[in-house]
Amino acid sequence: QAIDDDCNQTGQLLAAMLDWPQGTFASRVELEDGAVRVQREVDGGLETLRLRLPAVLTADLRLNEPRYATLPNIMKAKKKPLEVIPAADLGVSGGSPRLKVLQVQEPPARAGGEKVESVEALVEKLRQSGRI
Amino acid sequence: STGLTEDQKEFQKVALDFAAKEMAPYMAEWDEKEIFPVETMRKAAQLGFGGIYVKPDVGGSGLSRLDTSIIFEALSTGCTSTTAYMSIHNMCVWMIDTFGNEEQRHRFCPSLCSMEKFASYCLTEPGSGSDAASLLTSAQRKGDTYILNGSKAFISGGGDTDVYVVMCRTGGPGPKGISCLVLEKGMPGLSFGKKEKKVGWNSQPTRAVIFEDCVVPVGNRLGAEGQGFSIAMQGLNGGRINIASCSLGAAHASVLLAQEHLTVRKQFGEPLANNQYLQFRLAEMATRLLAARLMVRNAARALQDGREDAAVLCSMAKLFATDECFGICNQALQMHGGYGYLKDYAVQQFVRDIRVHQILEGTNEVMRMIVARNLLQG
Repeated sequence: QAIDDDCNQTGQLLAAMLDWPQGTFASRVELEDGAVRVQREVDGGLETLRLRLPAVLTADLRLNEPRYATLPNIMKAKKKPLEVIPAADLGVSGGSPRLKVLQVQEPPARAGGEKVESVEALVEKLRQSGRI
Repeated sequence: STGLTEDQKEFQKVALDFAAKEMAPYMAEWDEKEIFPVETMRKAAQLGFGGIYVKPDVGGSGLSRLDTSIIFEALSTGCTSTTAYMSIHNMCVWMIDTFGNEEQRHRFCPSLCSMEKFASYCLTEPGSGSDAASLLTSAQRKGDTYILNGSKAFISGGGDTDVYVVMCRTGGPGPKGISCLVLEKGMPGLSFGKKEKKVGWNSQPTRAVIFEDCVVPVGNRLGAEGQGFSIAMQGLNGGRINIASCSLGAAHASVLLAQEHLTVRKQFGEPLANNQYLQFRLAEMATRLLAARLMVRNAARALQDGREDAAVLCSMAKLFATDECFGICNQALQMHGGYGYLKDYAVQQFVRDIRVHQILEGTNEVMRMIVARNLLQG
């Protein structure tokens, strides 16, 4: 999930463009001979895939525990050079965005609920509003 | 985190994270079982917390006294007793770094900065606490060794640590006859008393350190003969800021605990936090904590800038912060009601752990002596 639009598509797009297999939301990665076993976090639980290498993986937060920054490294961080490379230098053209944001809106405000007298009334209401 | 630089906020963040994840979940167990958390401290040393204000060429982090205060305050929110020991360790390494010659610095400091080895500071004796200059442990010169006889009391880490920075008498009476020697566990004639049972500071063992014709090479002396007392006093300036910083951390954690409890606990049909008396009390606690913190940080700045009045400021800060913070932690315990008295709740451990900060590194009475002397002679 990219830090700007949270779209969860970069890894997947890359895999499609390269025609490589993909293992996204990886919470465990084990290398095997010429392949990688990826445990993925999915809505229903965990899914384990075996992908032939080369493959594209994206990490879930459960994959690793980030290290603590050390005091010397914090101090060195300020002095590290920040190199700016223009896209043209890498032989990449068309750096302008191809996504256009049309509209951003909040989800509708949550409307108040309604108390009903009996279970039958509840079922009737649910059926009426098309929920069941 | 008011008034801190970007770097200092980063240090604080690492220390707070470390305290919350690696120390806070264990502080009660360390206290109850009297565990000296060697592995956890080594993890802290890997982040650079083993020699915070020691020069980098021997493994230290080369940070300032203010940076150090911020770090110890943050670590103390996780476990005050362990952080206090770490501050003593740091002071010992600094002494060797600052007053040792190149050979001594390179011999001792690297393994201390990484906490492969641990250090203890030996000044106090059964007969000389506040009157430190009257210490009796004698070091008689014999060829190229010193023969030590005497004992030290209340030594934090004593018996479990590897390196001992010992103040002893090589010359005549009074401060000018005192020198500083570095001893190592295993030296013949070096032994330890029983482990003391304490009200708090239980994650660090406290023992007497005994010297019986203990042979120490002359090459282990830091600085010149007769320089020991000056080394001790300079070390204590920083030590006082460090201990005061540990008190700040404990008070900070206690205020947060009290705040949480006041919003959750209900009596007479409403949360305790709805009572004006408790609101006012909490406000006073927070105000005093901030005042104490500013005093400590101001003293740290004065020390690192080499200001003439640094020693007095350090004494004032130690006096004020340790007293105020004990009051704050005690108030926080009171706000917890009966629950505050149970060991299941952390607030009582903060109270017990910082009580001793009003006594060691120079009693708060001695702090008053130092300030008064400065006011009346200056």
